[in-house]
Amino acid sequence: MGTDFTLYLYSASPSAAAAASQEVFDEVDRIEQLLSNYRDSSELSRINQNAGNGSVTTDPEMLDFLQQSLHWSEVSNGAFDITVGRLMKAWGFFRHSGRVPSDAELEQLRAVTGWQKMKLDPAARTVQFTTPGIELDPGGIGKGFAVDAAVRILRADHISAAMLSAGSSTVYALGAPPHQAGWRVVVPGPLPSRRTLSVITLRDTSLSSADCSQKNFTLGGHLYCHIMNPQTMRPVEGVIQVSIVNPSATASDALSNVIFVQTSAQSVATLKASAPDSRALIVTSKASGDAVDARCTTYRWGSPVDSTHCLP
Amino acid sequence: MDRRHFLQSASAAALASTTMARAATPAVKPVRLGVIGAGSRGQEDLRQFLRVPGVSVEAICDIYPPRYEQVNRLVGKQIPNTTDHKELLARNDIDAVLIASPVGCHAEHVIASAQAGKAIYGEKALGFTVDDNHNILAAVTSSKVLFQIGHEYRYASWAQEAIRRVHAGEIGTPTHCYAYWHRNGDWRRTVPSPDPDKKLEHLINWRLYRETSGGLGTELGSHHIDMANWVFGEQPTSVIGTNSICRYRDGRTVGDNVQAVFSYSQGRRLVFSSITDNAKLGCEFWIYGTEGSVQITIEDAYFFYENKKSNAPSADKANSKTVVERGVVTGASYSTQGEMPYRGPGEKVVTATSEDPTLASVRSFIGAVRGEHSIFADVHCGFRAAIACSVAHDAVFTEEKTAIPATKIPQV
Repeated sequence: MGTDFTLYLYSASPSAAAAASQEVFDEVDRIEQLLSNYRDSSELSRINQNAGNGSVTTDPEMLDFLQQSLHWSEVSNGAFDITVGRLMKAWGFFRHSGRVPSDAELEQLRAVTGWQKMKLDPAARTVQFTTPGIELDPGGIGKGFAVDAAVRILRADHISAAMLSAGSSTVYALGAPPHQAGWRVVVPGPLPSRRTLSVITLRDTSLSSADCSQKNFTLGGHLYCHIMNPQTMRPVEGVIQVSIVNPSATASDALSNVIFVQTSAQSVATLKASAPDSRALIVTSKASGDAVDARCTTYRWGSPVDSTHCLP
Repeated sequence: MDRRHFLQSASAAALASTTMARAATPAVKPVRLGVIGAGSRGQEDLRQFLRVPGVSVEAICDIYPPRYEQVNRLVGKQIPNTTDHKELLARNDIDAVLIASPVGCHAEHVIASAQAGKAIYGEKALGFTVDDNHNILAAVTSSKVLFQIGHEYRYASWAQEAIRRVHAGEIGTPTHCYAYWHRNGDWRRTVPSPDPDKKLEHLINWRLYRETSGGLGTELGSHHIDMANWVFGEQPTSVIGTNSICRYRDGRTVGDNVQAVFSYSQGRRLVFSSITDNAKLGCEFWIYGTEGSVQITIEDAYFFYENKKSNAPSADKANSKTVVERGVVTGASYSTQGEMPYRGPGEKVVTATSEDPTLASVRSFIGAVRGEHSIFADVHCGFRAAIACSVAHDAVFTEEKTAIPATKIPQV
């Protein structure tokens, strides 16, 4: 995941807080070793290396991760797709070396991209790629999965109020600080001002945000965003940022990518059909990534939005 | 097509797909696992076991009930549980046992499992006390059950290749191993409250108390002692060491830092250090030889080579000084770098696979249970590391050089 996790928690004693924090970060390390595509010895790397040659037996947790990934691919018609590993490398988003691949190269990559090419057999605990050369990229869902795992640790330790942040793109609000209704989370507005767009109160739920500032490169004056549209095989254009609230951090992380890729109308339809209890705030632009003519779309957001950020 | 028929068709298609996927997978002999001790390490082992085709978990034994639900979640189904290891061992649906209980319980659990005729994957260290180690070795060898110790670095492809090259002489004669396991954390697990009589504290944080734990020297150092044994081809003969509590004064009775020097034949040494308030060095194992060094970590291995120093007679070379000494022409080359440490890159050990060491280890164990091969990290391997840990456990408190007894049962 290669990101900084931050934990705030209320505890009866500093030593209990330190012990709980250590367990949470140990769990994050464990999930990193499960899902990292930068570590050759991770379980995800093992699947990438072998599932194109035959079925790979894995453990129920990894299978659950893959099933959740496939679920969000299916309900989003591929707007989220964990099989974009080769595509991300082709665009240079692996190890930060941005480049623009040729059309011919992108067409070739279609053969090794596509969630339908990953087959799971839960009864046998196996995963298999129908085409050799497919590579999974956990980037659009892994942080959320790690946050959910860490929150289970906090609950098991009877921590009643905590805020866990994974690189600030996915946060989970557990319970509420004393005498508060929940954790107040500021959603900043579009770059470059980053003035507050909305303030939302969260309790026992997660919020994931996606925008191009997290990873991008500029070539010929054009900004290329790290969030890929698997259908066009190109980085998404015209979306500034999205924020989504869902009780599952895995779901909110994946949905933040889904909504970033889909149009606002498609996103609302996907949410109504597949995640109706979610809340979302979507900022798009007519021009590519230009915050000047930003438009805001909300779905059950429930908190005021500073309309000076958005065109009517 | 109505909805009912569509669902039936979809189910039939899914069933066919599943059948095809299974048919494509070579049949493997099932191995049914029982687990004694399902704490954090036991659960990590379990995850890895479940990544091996044909392995199922049939029962667990743990005296701390919250583990049951944790294991159910990990395995994805309800697993029969018990607090009595004899009850688990009496089951006839278990082919092998994973023993990951606290080290102080290993003798009781391993010996009972061996007497029950079960194949055993035993977490390190083999035993807690000197007597425990001798008794376990005797029980396992006399019962002739399969036993593999959880020294998983023996199965890490990069460690195997690095040590193969060391044994082939690539760094000259290995004379010293320096091992570091440095962390920045108090090594403490959360204890539910209230816990007035500290029962849960001692149950959950058993690693922090001298009567139940060998401390950092055993829980972490046993891996490095085993690796030094592997490099030198023998167990150490004595140890001198020290420990203290310099940061975490929370009632623990093992040190929060340990340093120990283990002696091998021909003056060879393993120097082990573990501290818990600075993680700069992390976990790394260095082998120093007369012509180079190897760094082995939990993910990779790198070779570094000494600057060549040769005093052998040679022809004059453009880049070497030529001296005439007592009428004999000798050549010597030496690039100066003073006493500065080398900070450049090394040569990475390249292997065909980088599989997680624990997965490689448990996969090999399952292969041995199926009769495919013998066990590399066997009970003798476990004994040679654990006996050193048991002696060091006291030696770091007495701070006296202490002899490490050899096995009474020679390896066949």
